Amino acid sequence: MKSVYKVLAFLIAAEVAIQAAMMAFAVAGLGIWVDKEGGVLDKATFESEPDFTGAVGFMVHGINGMMVIPLLALVFLIVSFFAKVPGGVKWAALVLLAVVVQVALGIYGHENAVFGMLHGLNALILFSLAFMAGKRVTSVTPDRHVVAERELV
Amino acid sequence: MSSRLRLLLACLASAVIVVPLGWMWWSSLLPDTYSVVDMGYVDLGSGPAPAGAPGHNAMDSRATSIRTLRADPARPADVRVDLVARRETFELASGRRVDGYTLNGGSPGPTIRAQQGDQVEVRLDNANVPDGITLHWHGIDVPNSMDGVAGVTQDAILAGDSFTYRYVADQVGTYWYHSHQLSHEQVRRGLLGAVVVVPKNADPEILDVPALVHLYDGLRTVNGEEGDVSVDAAPGSIARVRVINTDNGPMTVWVSGSGYRILAVDGTDVNEATPVKGKGTLVTAGGRADIEIVVPDGGARVELGGSTALLLGPGASELPADTAPTGVVDLLTYGSPAPLGFDPKTATRRFEYVVGRRPGFHDGRPGLWWTVNGHMFPDVPMFTVAEGDVVRMRIENNSGDVHPMHLHGHHAVVLRRDGVPATGSPWWVDSLNVRDGESYDVAFVADNPGIWMDHCHNLPHAAEGLVAHLMYAGFTTPFMIGGTAANHPE
Repeated sequence: MKSVYKVLAFLIAAEVAIQAAMMAFAVAGLGIWVDKEGGVLDKATFESEPDFTGAVGFMVHGINGMMVIPLLALVFLIVSFFAKVPGGVKWAALVLLAVVVQVALGIYGHENAVFGMLHGLNALILFSLAFMAGKRVTSVTPDRHVVAERELV
Repeated sequence: MSSRLRLLLACLASAVIVVPLGWMWWSSLLPDTYSVVDMGYVDLGSGPAPAGAPGHNAMDSRATSIRTLRADPARPADVRVDLVARRETFELASGRRVDGYTLNGGSPGPTIRAQQGDQVEVRLDNANVPDGITLHWHGIDVPNSMDGVAGVTQDAILAGDSFTYRYVADQVGTYWYHSHQLSHEQVRRGLLGAVVVVPKNADPEILDVPALVHLYDGLRTVNGEEGDVSVDAAPGSIARVRVINTDNGPMTVWVSGSGYRILAVDGTDVNEATPVKGKGTLVTAGGRADIEIVVPDGGARVELGGSTALLLGPGASELPADTAPTGVVDLLTYGSPAPLGFDPKTATRRFEYVVGRRPGFHDGRPGLWWTVNGHMFPDVPMFTVAEGDVVRMRIENNSGDVHPMHLHGHHAVVLRRDGVPATGSPWWVDSLNVRDGESYDVAFVADNPGIWMDHCHNLPHAAEGLVAHLMYAGFTTPFMIGGTAANHPE
């Protein structure tokens, strides 16, 4: 279970990195489409899924952010109950909390751009929490190899 | 802590998370087949229960089938059109290739033209569209059985089958037709066309220019052309440009090189339309606006959202395109008042249609979903009326996104927006742009019996459950959502 905990933690961190990359990909593509390819963006176009390079980034960001990452965070918390990682439940709960905040900021970013800015900042917090949670598995619990060496001494 | 106790606690904690979520997921699953008359809950709009108000039995033997609601079958057609639908890759008028759907080999389909009072007959053949098709007559208050909603007013027309639509074109104006089977997919990819109904005494001198605007693969076209599209118009002539927004979000139309007037909105003429200069006209998704331009010597450009324009007059190609104006004409105050033909104060029913949004499951999918009066699809209100009712409806949007609300089979008049009364020409709509934070009070007369969808015309939103329906007491439908024809109206 410890390794599942670790894998999930790093997976969530990786997903956050993918989210950042996808958003930058999409915004860059949108800029090029408007700037160089004569694309015009209005609400009707926005709703019609215009087909420019990077457009897939918006879709991936939405599916990942609204479904995949929240699901991973929930599974991560459940796994933490069984994983016997010292402080593991606390870290998993913090990750889930950061995910909830992140989804809310993402949604309210459509109302007020300041929330969008905070969404960007919280992404780094979430990434750090998930990454730290994963790292802790190795640093706080001596693995079998180390234990075996100690027994030899 | 003993390891057994620890394990027990871990299992309990997991159950606390998994069980409620699992229950929410399971209870959101839609049955494969259901009838709209069994869907949601009856809303009487604070009026008395009319005779034959829907119970919860689709096959209520006392109710009249909506199949009886049709045009006089004995009357011969004045306008007859045959349409063949295909799933294929095709070439737009602009030359661009699109993977989508065609009618008679192209998209948009042929413009159907009729004179007021004509009996229109359209035979639709499905050559090879695997999921089935229908045609809905957007803005035309047809008899209910001709409304073209798969699973509500008919079965989807499967490949190899056909269906004939018949109605009397009583209403002068600009309309359009589109599939209402898997509409979010089929409309976007081309199953649509324009309908123009002119008065018998139409002035032949006026240049009639349908302008069906559609985004194919995200690029805007007008009548299948794109970029600067020239229209042969002599300086001094009068053009009536019939803008039809067939997309999923509002668009703005403005004119470079000339002022203009808004002659009609959603097919209904504006009373005493005044000249507009320096402002745009917002046409919501599914909505129409007829724009009048007296072609200047230097020509005029009708800008359709900025990427595509109609060029009127020989000089227009030299004309610079104005950028989008900052303001749009407020139809609440545009034109002059005129009698409505009914008194909204005598309303016998008052409905609320409050659009919100909350997290949850829609047919098993987690997400942030639309709500109607706080309920998520399919637990939505069935706005129940009796024929002859004067109905008021308050449409309010607290959902974070704009919604082009479309009521089938009726035209409603806008009374107020955000509590401010309408003071211009009667503003009759079938597609109303309700922005986030806005509320509209509208009124209509329940004069067209049947079962009518009342939904958001951002079609993916409709597919996500932003759908309700107007239900006339005493009527039922034999058609089912799902079922053997695999009906999926949205």
